[in-house]
Amino acid sequence: MKSNIDKKTLEYLAELSRIKLDAREEEKLLKDLQKILDYFEELKSLDTSGVEPTRPPSTSSIAKSGAVSGGTELKNAFREDEERINTNRGDGVDAFPETENGFLKVPPVFE
Amino acid sequence: MAHIPLQNLTIGKFHEGLLKKEFSALEIAEAYFGEIKERDGKIGAYLSANEEEALRQAEAVDVSLAEGDEIGLLAGVPLAIKDNILIKGQPATAASKILKNYVASYDAGVIQKLKAEKAVFLGKTNLDEFAMGSSTENSAFKITRNPHDLERVAGGSSGGSAAAVAANLALGALGSDTGGSIREPAAFCGVVGFKPTYGAVSRSGLIAMASSLDQIGPLAKTAEDAAIIFNAIRGRDPLDATSADGPNGSDKKILEPEFEKIKNLVVGVPEEYFVEGVSEEVKKCVETARKTIESMGVKFKKISLPHTKYTLSCYYIIVPAEVSSNLARFDGIRYARIAHNARTNAGGTRNNAEKIQRDSALSPRMSALEEIYFRQRGRGFGAEAKRRIILGTFVLSSGYYDAYYKKAQQVRSIIKNDFENAFRDVDVIFAPTTPGTAFKIGEKTSDPLAMYLEDIFTVPVNLAGLPSLSLPVREKPARQSLGAGGKEGMPVGFQLIGRQWKDHEILGLGQYYERATAPDLY
Repeated sequence: MKSNIDKKTLEYLAELSRIKLDAREEEKLLKDLQKILDYFEELKSLDTSGVEPTRPPSTSSIAKSGAVSGGTELKNAFREDEERINTNRGDGVDAFPETENGFLKVPPVFE
Repeated sequence: MAHIPLQNLTIGKFHEGLLKKEFSALEIAEAYFGEIKERDGKIGAYLSANEEEALRQAEAVDVSLAEGDEIGLLAGVPLAIKDNILIKGQPATAASKILKNYVASYDAGVIQKLKAEKAVFLGKTNLDEFAMGSSTENSAFKITRNPHDLERVAGGSSGGSAAAVAANLALGALGSDTGGSIREPAAFCGVVGFKPTYGAVSRSGLIAMASSLDQIGPLAKTAEDAAIIFNAIRGRDPLDATSADGPNGSDKKILEPEFEKIKNLVVGVPEEYFVEGVSEEVKKCVETARKTIESMGVKFKKISLPHTKYTLSCYYIIVPAEVSSNLARFDGIRYARIAHNARTNAGGTRNNAEKIQRDSALSPRMSALEEIYFRQRGRGFGAEAKRRIILGTFVLSSGYYDAYYKKAQQVRSIIKNDFENAFRDVDVIFAPTTPGTAFKIGEKTSDPLAMYLEDIFTVPVNLAGLPSLSLPVREKPARQSLGAGGKEGMPVGFQLIGRQWKDHEILGLGQYYERATAPDLY
């Protein structure tokens, strides 16, 4: 089955992505995305039944044994549970766009 | 101050010259800033310069030399850093409007290591926005031009770093490679680019694009310089849980290759990489380089990577999926904000929300907070970033997840398996870096698929987590017969792909080739 992407789907995806698109952007995106999805059709000709998907590195430790992990073959890369530098103070606060007395200032969000 | 020829300067020669007092680190740093001021206006390699601090760093190296301290190979070496890598106190825009005003509050893991080596950071280089692209035309701020032909692209996404090294605006550089973003611009600009084994270099402080594929690596004039930079930045970093010391051996293995052993490596040539779609120019040049290496005693063997043709589909599903997640953090509230848009007013009164103009196209029930997200992200991200975020959201959404994302991860396992099979017969894989040479500016910007096809030979390496070294074809006769009237054509690159954690083998083989073809640089 070929996937098609219509204007309604695109608007829904834009909403999930928290991105405001203008009409011109929507039109171009719709065309581009359809072309890209058509290109992906070639994958359907490849039989992948029974193939274990590659796991992202962060979840490789919980993947079933024998699973292929992305990147390194690291497992259980834990660190010691000890106190570390906290970037929410000092430099971390200074890097925030607006601050007051060490507090982070954000635009008001309640109506 | 004597005129310092930067053309044939390498890290090794710089270090020697420094020890012999032929020049000071400060003089060299000043010479590079002179070149940047004179010539970067046309090339556009840098987004920001860091002159004051760089000169201070260089002077400190001269002082410790004068005091008789021992200095390392990278002390005083002027480097350019891709603008998606954080240097404390300096801008890190990732060439995106959404981070235009962002100043980094900490050093990336690689920067901490280079600072410990006393390297000098000249400035931050241009890239495709968030490293998404193959030409550096997707930068929100400017286009980087190819120093060999200003009408052509420098490649991407580490186009600024590649152009800086090629035009002698830096002695070396850092880039990042998710699907070829170090190797492709290196090939287009005629410099060396090295993508290390996934996990060999910390990604802490690299603005993430696709975390299971991203890897920081060097761009340099020679494989030897690339090895020196790689050796300094590699290793486990507690702030990147995917980084590891790995079994790729000691400093000695990386810095002092044993050519007698290197010569005995067996190199595979995959038939799927020399097919239709590869330009005659690239085929011819790459074959010349292969013959040179063969004539030096290295054995070549034909191999097959049968699933190469599925690589791009697989990659362009996995990358947008990870992008849609990684770029969710840019909400227009943290990091930086775009001016005159939903800011708190000076008094901090609560009725600010009412001042935000309502947009009828958006849901009437949308909260003021959501409006901030939509507007900041709508204005802050460029076209390719939006395309990937939305495509990624699609391939991960229920109903499509199995058909796209899961399928792509299965294909990724198959592609990885292809390499594992090939590495039973050979030690290294030899291939062109790109199907063609640097294209004209604007030639591929309107069609994202045409741009994606540039990555066909570089992407498989990232999917499999392997190291790969891209080298320019150095043989003069091959280069000259291509251009009109005996003039050299655009640079052509080939790559040496190694087994996981065998970074030192391909860096060694690269040096073996360069010592025969580029004696000026050794």
